[in-house]
Amino acid sequence: MKKPSKLPSDPDGPVEDGAFQPPRWADRLLEWFVAPHLLEYVQGDLHENFRKRVAQVGPARARREYVRQVMHCFTPFFTRRPAAQPFHRFDNEYANPPFFAMLSNYLTIAFRNLWRHKAFTAINIIGLAVGLATCLLIVLFVVHELSYDRYHADSDRIYRMTLYGRMDDKDIDLAYAPGPAGQALLRDCPGVEAVTRLRREGAFLVKHHQDIIKEENVAFVDSNFFSVFSIPMLKGHRVRALTEPNTLVLSQTVARKYFGETDPVGKTLSLGQLGLFRVTGVCADVPSNTHFHYDMFGSLNSVRNGSKWLASGAYTYLRLRKGYPIQQVEDQSRGFVARYIAPEIKEFFGQSLSEFRQKGNRFGFSFQPVTAIHLYSDLDDELEANSDVKYVYIFSVIALFILLLACINFMNLSTAGSAGRSREVGIRKVLGSVRRQLVVQFLAESVLLTLLALGLALGLVLLLLPGFNGLAGKQFTAADIFSIRILTGAIPACLLIGLLAGSYPAFVLSSFKPVTVLKGGLQAGLRSGWLRNTLVTGQFVVSIGILIATIVADQQLRFMQNKKVGFDKEQVLVLHDTHVLGSKFDGFKSELARLSSVVGVSAAGFLPAGASSQSVDGIQVRNGARTVIHRSKGYFIDEDYLPTLGIRLVLGRNFKKASPSESASVLLNEAAVRAYGFGNPAGGPAGSPIGRQLSTVGDGTEGSKRTYTVVGVVKDFHFESMHQHIAPLVMFYGEDHGQLALRIRTDDLPRLLNDIEQRWKAETGNPFAYSFLNDRFNTMYQSERRIGQLFGVFAGLAVLISCLGLFGLAALTTHQRTKEIGVRKVLGASVAGIVTLLLTQYLKLILIALAIASPIAGYTMSRWLGDFAYRIDIGWWIFALAGGLAASVAVLTVGYLAIKAALTNPVKSLRAE
Amino acid sequence: MKKTVLGELEELVLLVVAASSEDVYGVPVMEQLQQQTGRSFTIGAVHTTLYRLEEKGFLSSSVGGATAERGGRSKRLFALTAAGGQALLEMQQVRTRLWQSIPQGKLQLLGLSVNPM
Repeated sequence: MKKPSKLPSDPDGPVEDGAFQPPRWADRLLEWFVAPHLLEYVQGDLHENFRKRVAQVGPARARREYVRQVMHCFTPFFTRRPAAQPFHRFDNEYANPPFFAMLSNYLTIAFRNLWRHKAFTAINIIGLAVGLATCLLIVLFVVHELSYDRYHADSDRIYRMTLYGRMDDKDIDLAYAPGPAGQALLRDCPGVEAVTRLRREGAFLVKHHQDIIKEENVAFVDSNFFSVFSIPMLKGHRVRALTEPNTLVLSQTVARKYFGETDPVGKTLSLGQLGLFRVTGVCADVPSNTHFHYDMFGSLNSVRNGSKWLASGAYTYLRLRKGYPIQQVEDQSRGFVARYIAPEIKEFFGQSLSEFRQKGNRFGFSFQPVTAIHLYSDLDDELEANSDVKYVYIFSVIALFILLLACINFMNLSTAGSAGRSREVGIRKVLGSVRRQLVVQFLAESVLLTLLALGLALGLVLLLLPGFNGLAGKQFTAADIFSIRILTGAIPACLLIGLLAGSYPAFVLSSFKPVTVLKGGLQAGLRSGWLRNTLVTGQFVVSIGILIATIVADQQLRFMQNKKVGFDKEQVLVLHDTHVLGSKFDGFKSELARLSSVVGVSAAGFLPAGASSQSVDGIQVRNGARTVIHRSKGYFIDEDYLPTLGIRLVLGRNFKKASPSESASVLLNEAAVRAYGFGNPAGGPAGSPIGRQLSTVGDGTEGSKRTYTVVGVVKDFHFESMHQHIAPLVMFYGEDHGQLALRIRTDDLPRLLNDIEQRWKAETGNPFAYSFLNDRFNTMYQSERRIGQLFGVFAGLAVLISCLGLFGLAALTTHQRTKEIGVRKVLGASVAGIVTLLLTQYLKLILIALAIASPIAGYTMSRWLGDFAYRIDIGWWIFALAGGLAASVAVLTVGYLAIKAALTNPVKSLRAE
Repeated sequence: MKKTVLGELEELVLLVVAASSEDVYGVPVMEQLQQQTGRSFTIGAVHTTLYRLEEKGFLSSSVGGATAERGGRSKRLFALTAAGGQALLEMQQVRTRLWQSIPQGKLQLLGLSVNPM
């Protein structure tokens, strides 16, 4: 009917002219996405149409239209490549068989290959499995750490109110708030929806019929506690269970412990000196990812709650109304100081608020999200020792590093293992394999290996789980590992690792030229070793880094455990809960003192390690005309305390037994003498502290203010952990019956213990519990020890994996240098010479790795050490030791291969030429 | 061969190819469609339809000459096959039958002037 009219414009002119060209980028795009067999015609038509439009509507609009036209071509029809086009099949009768048809062949070949090189396969899979297992465990740990307190309904609206301040140049950062603060919040801040408080009163001896059991995890909470925190109530009313005094909610486990399968609601338990409590409910066990773990919740009104802001405390949680910012509550809480605390400052310190502030003292409240408590909060008197987000980061980084090591390793070993397969590649290429197919084949193999490794890793994790739980202080079960969340993460991750790790060998091997390969020529791709050398160096950087960290952590731990702590922590037995003896305490004490293997006995409620009474008081010191108040820790001790604990006296005298004047005497430690300006702790020209006077502030009432005379100075001892410098300590005369400390000297400890237990049983029906001071001391550094042990394990793993990688690399290069070694031997090289030749190559890599790792690890570890007031110096020998360890392990690994290569008969290695 | 259904655009494109005196390629088909229907079509849509018709056996294609304005790219020229003609005929018969079944004067009653096909 019609023919396209000929173009009116000059055909030669516009072609040269850029303005008359369609946009280049659109053309490129088109060329990229349109399948090649369709491209020519559609592009031709587009260009032709473009030229016509240029003549009709001008170049600018034509170009816009062109882009639109190109975009309209972005459809599956144009982008689909010919292999899937049914009609295209007629064009190419000898098309490549589809991927799935070849898959069975790939798998067969893969299994044959793996089977033929059993040792190699095993090393490869084990290396990756170890890496994956470590990574899985760390992921479990990190995910659990991050999940703390997120399960509460509206956890994003729950905050904890805390008190901070500064008094007498000492910072106060408490995890709790003053007792009345919660009520004030509800009254003064409209944005606060609910407030709930928690108090702890220490451990209780719980009596049920004739049994007395010590319960550590007892808390007293407001009745709405279970409405704010989503801990399910199994029996009893969620809101009304704890409204009355002396009512109690038990966790499921504890309820079963006391009442078995019978319904505990309505039954009674006796809680120490607080008397009878009626059980009104049973709640589910507090989930492990909560920042507190209590088993018994008493009603808050069963215990004394102070009404003073400065002399009471409760852990105070609040829930905000929806959409209400916490800043607003924070602003409103600033008014609390003037409104509520100022009158009390007047009462306690006799100062007005402005005077108080002038001295640099202050108070304030801060609010932390409940979800941040576990990882970010490190205040005084936390409900439990919290973790630190630092460790989450450290472990994540380590997991990443170990996974990286394992992947690099896997890559190196796969490349090395497939080096012998160049002939297979050659044959496949000759028979018509295209490069893409070969790539797919090798990728499939490496994915197969990864999945095998994942299976093994899961098995390993199951096996290691109990040990890991012990190390990390968690209770993971098999169900946690095989949870959907972990598996949906792990399987795709493994596929990805398989693809990434397999990509290098896949692309290198598939690039071989069949002619060269089949002729027996050298494989250029496998000869250039810089990439693998870099990878191995990288591996050793990581392992040497972790090694250095391990050595430093271990040294610091040893240092803390062996440092002179100022008291003799060996051979001290501590009996717990001796206050239950009541009036029989003194009799029991002197009875123990008469035992032949007991050197000394002392009432020791205050102890420098483990459970201890706490006392903090304001110490008023008159220095010339000025009166200064120092907030200092206090100990209440008897005359036997210093000898029993082995604390040395520097100056003056110890307390005297039962002298009435002693109640007005105090001992100071050296730090206190310095802090109070009492001159030189050792006496001398600056004036002796002996005979100086100080008085306590007490709770502000006249009766609690007392004046004391210093009678002696004790040598500084570590009564807090070594994270802190030794603080001033005031020791008052008085007996704290909380615990008994016994200095013992015996070879037959079980008999002594049995002996003491018999005497205990004769006095009281309460459980007999004891500990040793050095054990208690060591548990103070449990988290450091845990970190040290974990680092040790990771260092071992990192070195193991790196060595596997090194082994792979060495195997590959020695294989490639077989002929070179043959020629060298023929020319007269000795076995030792050849071994040295092969070894120096790797030692160089390790030296480079050491040079890179040392500054990084050294810097990081000095930051870690910065947390300790008493710490070791990082000596050069630590780096040397780490390097030496890495080098010697490497020599052992490579040495075997080097010797084997050097011993090969040159006739064999040169025969093929 | 199973009965093949023709879409509207497919039918139009098939008719345009049938109406041309010689083999045609994408650009003239598109122009013709625009002229006859007043709607605009993209090259991509026209090509997709042409290839689909070829796949169905209604058109056959060959490679044609290149010109300067195409940047030296060759054309894919399409021609009607017997099966294509048959399909058009069947389509026309269906339409005619349907037209005839419209009751007399119905369209006029709606105020439309009808030119009989």
